[in-house]
Amino acid sequence: MRRVLRDNGIGLVFGGLFLLMLVGQAVAGQAQYNDQQAAYGAEAVSLLQYVTSSTFAVDVVENWQSEYLQFFLYIFLTVWLVQRGSGESKDIEKAGLESDEDQKVGAHARADSPAWARLTDWRGALFSRSLGIVMGTIFVLSWLAQSVAGWAAYNSEQLGNREDPVTWLGYLTEPDFWNRTLQNWQSEMLAVGSMAVLGVYLRQRGSPESKPVGAAHADTGETG
Amino acid sequence: MRAFILGATVAMLAGCAATERPDVERVATDFATGDPTARCALLAPATLAAAERDGPCVAAVGTSLSSGGQVLQTSVWGDEAQVRLAGDTLFLTRTGGGWKVAAAGCTPNGDLPYACRLEGP
Repeated sequence: MRRVLRDNGIGLVFGGLFLLMLVGQAVAGQAQYNDQQAAYGAEAVSLLQYVTSSTFAVDVVENWQSEYLQFFLYIFLTVWLVQRGSGESKDIEKAGLESDEDQKVGAHARADSPAWARLTDWRGALFSRSLGIVMGTIFVLSWLAQSVAGWAAYNSEQLGNREDPVTWLGYLTEPDFWNRTLQNWQSEMLAVGSMAVLGVYLRQRGSPESKPVGAAHADTGETG
Repeated sequence: MRAFILGATVAMLAGCAATERPDVERVATDFATGDPTARCALLAPATLAAAERDGPCVAAVGTSLSSGGQVLQTSVWGDEAQVRLAGDTLFLTRTGGGWKVAAAGCTPNGDLPYACRLEGP
């Protein structure tokens, strides 16, 4: 049991933190929502009513979509983009899809390689891109969910303000949709870009996200 | 998983609106066809308070609002709704006591919010 916990520490701890923080967001969001309700002379909502509302849904998925966009772009663009000296980058000369030998695919697959890594047909091509495809798909679906939940929350606000509701396509042209989207995107780009550059000069002993403490600033693609 | 959430969100939105529509339209019709006393009973608390600011509610709803009218269009989004009647546009809100009228006697006002003869804050 202890070994299972140790061997899956990252997934378990981040999964647990995700749930705790989601509950915290729900409680804080309900309090804020009810403050607004009181200001308008409207009745307070229960936690269950709040977590099933479009207001909570859009606040959740607008963050999901930007996180998955960040990781999708990072996974995809770092195939070709490199950062000299960064532990987040591969070696400069490895920019691109790399050789079959480097990637251990097809005839270069090892005995313990995943079965589809040996295949040279569509299955091999699909498996070779599966991480980016799945992350990109989750991003698109999350963004779509944001647009739908945001549309519902926006129309509820419109009616509360004595204004007409808008269509879904109309909502996609509203500042509300793009403000929610871009305020999340910009922060993700800042975080991932700064991490790649700061990793050239700064170290975190023992972290695989950092170069070894004693590695030279010019060393690229090392992790410690 | 995310596809499920997306589908569930859309289904929830559509389902909620469809479920609430009959209640919303019944309250709107009762308000439009009711006498002043019945209308006052259908006002949301904040709107009732606004109606009683300068005198009895029945005076406020009896003189300034048109009556009657068939439902032409209904929009329900979350706890808010809009009902276009032949002679009026109403905005409703969901309260602990069910759907209530938040604003009545409303007319379009260009890009600005509707101008309503009776409304709460």
